Amino acid sequence: MSRPVKKMKYMERRHNLLGYAFMLPWIAGFLIFTAWPFIYTFILSFHDVSLTVEGWQTAFTGINNYNTAFFRNTEFMPAIISFLIMEATYAPTIIVISFILALLLNRGLKFRAGFRALFFLPVIVMSGPVLFQLMDTGSAANTGIEGMTLFNMVYQFSSPVAEGLAYLFENYSMVLWFTGIPIVLFISGLQKIDNGVLEAAKIDAATSWQILWKITVPIIKPIILVAAIFTVVQLGIYQLNPVMDMIQTAIYNSVSGLGLASAFAWVYSFIELAIVGVAFLFLRDAKEQPIKILKRSERRRAGQ
Amino acid sequence: MTQRLKHIIKKARLVNIIIYVVLILMSYQFLYPLMRMVSLSLMSERDIINPTVNWLPKSLTFNNLRVALDNLALEKTLVNSLWYSSLLALCQTLVSSLTGYAFARYNFKFKKFWFGMALMTFIIPTPVVIIPRTMLFTVVQENVTQMFGTPIPQIVMAVFGQGIYSAILILIFYNFVRMIPKVLDEAAEIDGANAAQTFFHITLRMSLSTILLVFMFSFVWNWNETYITSTFLRNRIELLPERLRIFDSIFATYGQNYGAGQGSAQMRINEAYKMSATLISILPMLAVYMLVQKQFIKGIENAGITGE
Repeated sequence: MSRPVKKMKYMERRHNLLGYAFMLPWIAGFLIFTAWPFIYTFILSFHDVSLTVEGWQTAFTGINNYNTAFFRNTEFMPAIISFLIMEATYAPTIIVISFILALLLNRGLKFRAGFRALFFLPVIVMSGPVLFQLMDTGSAANTGIEGMTLFNMVYQFSSPVAEGLAYLFENYSMVLWFTGIPIVLFISGLQKIDNGVLEAAKIDAATSWQILWKITVPIIKPIILVAAIFTVVQLGIYQLNPVMDMIQTAIYNSVSGLGLASAFAWVYSFIELAIVGVAFLFLRDAKEQPIKILKRSERRRAGQ
Repeated sequence: MTQRLKHIIKKARLVNIIIYVVLILMSYQFLYPLMRMVSLSLMSERDIINPTVNWLPKSLTFNNLRVALDNLALEKTLVNSLWYSSLLALCQTLVSSLTGYAFARYNFKFKKFWFGMALMTFIIPTPVVIIPRTMLFTVVQENVTQMFGTPIPQIVMAVFGQGIYSAILILIFYNFVRMIPKVLDEAAEIDGANAAQTFFHITLRMSLSTILLVFMFSFVWNWNETYITSTFLRNRIELLPERLRIFDSIFATYGQNYGAGQGSAQMRINEAYKMSATLISILPMLAVYMLVQKQFIKGIENAGITGE
């Protein structure tokens, strides 16, 4: 009786020991270069930080840095707002377009592989400087939406919506370039949908439209979540948004110091994490309602 | 009956045509920046200023490309970028194979917690961690040896699994190792191999294609990364994308030598130079993509990012 227990204990110890041995470099790196900095930036944001001959000097200043960020600095809030507009317009557009493209590519078409390769191409060539040069030379889109009648009608109706639209179409090709990875995620999700379910729906005379909304979208919902998080993170990384630039400049600004830069960085990160959180809340529930297979008696009751 | 069949076939064909049109229009949008790069870089000055010339240059010239080549200092930056990205990719591949293997093979305590943390490293924005990282390396620099301007900070971070998109590389390994039958490991252990031997001789041997894939991904991402790189390298080692970023300011100092016109014409000619430089800077990545395009797409598909 005691031997299997001993063996279990031994296996457990072995797994712990070896697991952590293999994990060691990563865990050390995570603690030093990610976890601690994450917390330390928060602490720094309440301090005045300066580099002196004796090393880094910090002095507690309370919420002074946040005061500066929100009220005294005239550039930070506009930058944050334009970052929010970007996430709010780009991210949903990227998700919708990549889902549509994935649906189209999932049909047995000719040149399917070619289109897929083409849509994935930007993932490989996209970098901050490339995006910067493209936007700087106006090569990021070919649509002059401002001239369109429809756009002017929207503008009459509501100018914030119109501004959002203009923002979106100004860099339309760039927005498309972010769909590379979501498309692949969606296609691999679509291919895992059981064909039997689709056929059953067809036999029951469901239209393609009904199949899309009642079967495909619910099944693929977890992937929409992953793609959404991926997109939000990707949009945050590139210096498309002015906040990244502001933080970078603040880091090198010796007058305001790293304290203010920390406050900038923290506010920015909080907003980005909040956006991810919102995406999570909106798209999460699909997994929590597993399809319940009813017993015959229950089915009868449900049918009544 | 046959009539109905014909009707269905006709409808399907129409749908297909519509889909093709949509896909081609989309492809045009995708490729628009690239096409503009190619077109502008081949135009002569007169074509660029001429508003009737839109896509096809009237007279071909490689002058723009030559100017861009000069200002990118390609022979230096290309080599630098190659070895720098390869080095970081090597470190990242090594550590993510170790970590992915640990996640796939061992049931250690708090495994779920660490897995969640690995995913968190992907979500946490870079600016929030870069300030303490900078401070840390400043302290090391003052007490030990030069840090900024050398590859050391980024190598250290890569070796300890905190390089760019490390989480995805770990996921790719994790999912691959899970597919390797455990029996092989057990057989090796019965034959007296220890854990390290099993890892190196069994798992790594079997995952050569995955190693290559992870290396390529890491290489491309490190190549394209400029935010962290510019913070730590401070342009002491000149890399190609970094050079493209400051292309405008370099060009402003050297640009006069090329005797372009004034005002808006000057601006349009500058555009052509900039697009030529951008085109040149993405060519190496395009070449990589041509070679391993299928593996890249498969890699993301099999990474299991979608959480199965």
